[in-house]
Amino acid sequence: MRYLLTTLALSSLTLTSAFAAGGEEHHALPLYAQKLHESLPISNSMVMVWIAALVIVVFCRMATGKMSLIPSGLQNFAEWAFESLYNFLESLMGKHLTHRTFWFFGSIFFFILVSNYLGLIPGVGTVGWTALDSHGHASFTPLLRGANADINMTAAMSFSFALLWFYWALTENSVSGFFAHIFAPKGSFSGIMLLMMVPIFLFVGVLEMVSIAIRPVALSFRLFGNIYGGEQTLESLMNLVPKSIAFLPALPFYFMELLVGFVQALVFTLLCAIFLKLICDHGDEHHEAGDHGHH
Amino acid sequence: MITLLASTAAENPGILESITSTFGLNVPLFIAQVVNFFLVIIVLKKFAFGPVQKMLEERRIRIADGESKLKQIEKQLAESATTTAAAIAAANAEAVRLVEEAKAGAAAFSEQKSQEAIASAQSILTKAEAAAKADRDRLATELKREFGRLVAATTSQVTGKILNADDQKRINEDALAKVEA
Repeated sequence: MRYLLTTLALSSLTLTSAFAAGGEEHHALPLYAQKLHESLPISNSMVMVWIAALVIVVFCRMATGKMSLIPSGLQNFAEWAFESLYNFLESLMGKHLTHRTFWFFGSIFFFILVSNYLGLIPGVGTVGWTALDSHGHASFTPLLRGANADINMTAAMSFSFALLWFYWALTENSVSGFFAHIFAPKGSFSGIMLLMMVPIFLFVGVLEMVSIAIRPVALSFRLFGNIYGGEQTLESLMNLVPKSIAFLPALPFYFMELLVGFVQALVFTLLCAIFLKLICDHGDEHHEAGDHGHH
Repeated sequence: MITLLASTAAENPGILESITSTFGLNVPLFIAQVVNFFLVIIVLKKFAFGPVQKMLEERRIRIADGESKLKQIEKQLAESATTTAAAIAAANAEAVRLVEEAKAGAAAFSEQKSQEAIASAQSILTKAEAAAKADRDRLATELKREFGRLVAATTSQVTGKILNADDQKRINEDALAKVEA
């Protein structure tokens, strides 16, 4: 999907450049979010974050305004969405971890989903103002930008998850258990075999640490790349034709972007859940065994 | 991530600057987005997902309660079925006993009534026989008297003799002895 989008974006950019060279004036979606204030760190993608949060809050308040034990309408839809995600995560991580972490995974899934879809609304990235920069060139600053089309936002989410991942891993396994989980030999070895396995698993542990360090970077760039690539593709396709029919070539890709928006939200949430499950595997089994014991 | 970027930057001077400038990754915006993200998460947890999760939790508890009550009802139903079956069995046994008693009572009553009927018939028969015997005796006496009178009258007319009482008695006895013989 990413390669397809990248290829399409590059092809479209080439064609767009050709049109531009022919006299048409087009502006490509910048690779980074623009600051809306000189001194305050507020970017146009940050505004979309607030709007996305507001949309989710308003929807949930509407859905839960008149709660009833037999749901209907919006409440029914909200409960269905939440329960489906909860059950899906429960099948991956188990009851204990899901109950403990759903506030984060639920928030991140719906937030990414809504942000991705809001980024597709006409006006996002195109409504703004033009001002002269320090070099005297006219530069266009959009008021809004897709929240996940900003690497700072995707990195913020990934980095926040990494911090929470450490916290959950340490509290579920304890400090010694955490390091044992990464470096200790897996399996039942004894004697000379154990001595031989120790350096191997130490090396595997170092690789695991590198893998852990790469995860937030991979999460950030995967989400950013897909969403930015999608938006860039749509914009480039719209620049291929006269403005009166600009929507036409982009229309089929809007449907694909709806799918991409959902899939990327799911992939981000799913990967985070799997990373957590991998490190908390023993802890979760222990807790579930404890739960069964209590019952 | 920072460690990785730092190590990469140490190995390739200038690459970190290249990445950050290309993608617009800068520290103030990144920190602002982290703070922003946590604020959003807290707001969503408090105002969006909290009520829905609470409702789902309440429903789960309610369903669990319902299931436990259902099990209790099923248990009570099974106990009730056992008790009912025992009561029905006891009632059946009682009914059979009553029917047997009724049958026995009816047989005794029937026998008694039969015996009474037989006794009554016997009594009627005896009375009838006695009445018939009395009638026959009465008729025989009347017949004897009439016969004697006829014999005496006939003898008197044949012999032209007036018979006295002794003669009449003797003639009657002779005639009766012959007739009876």
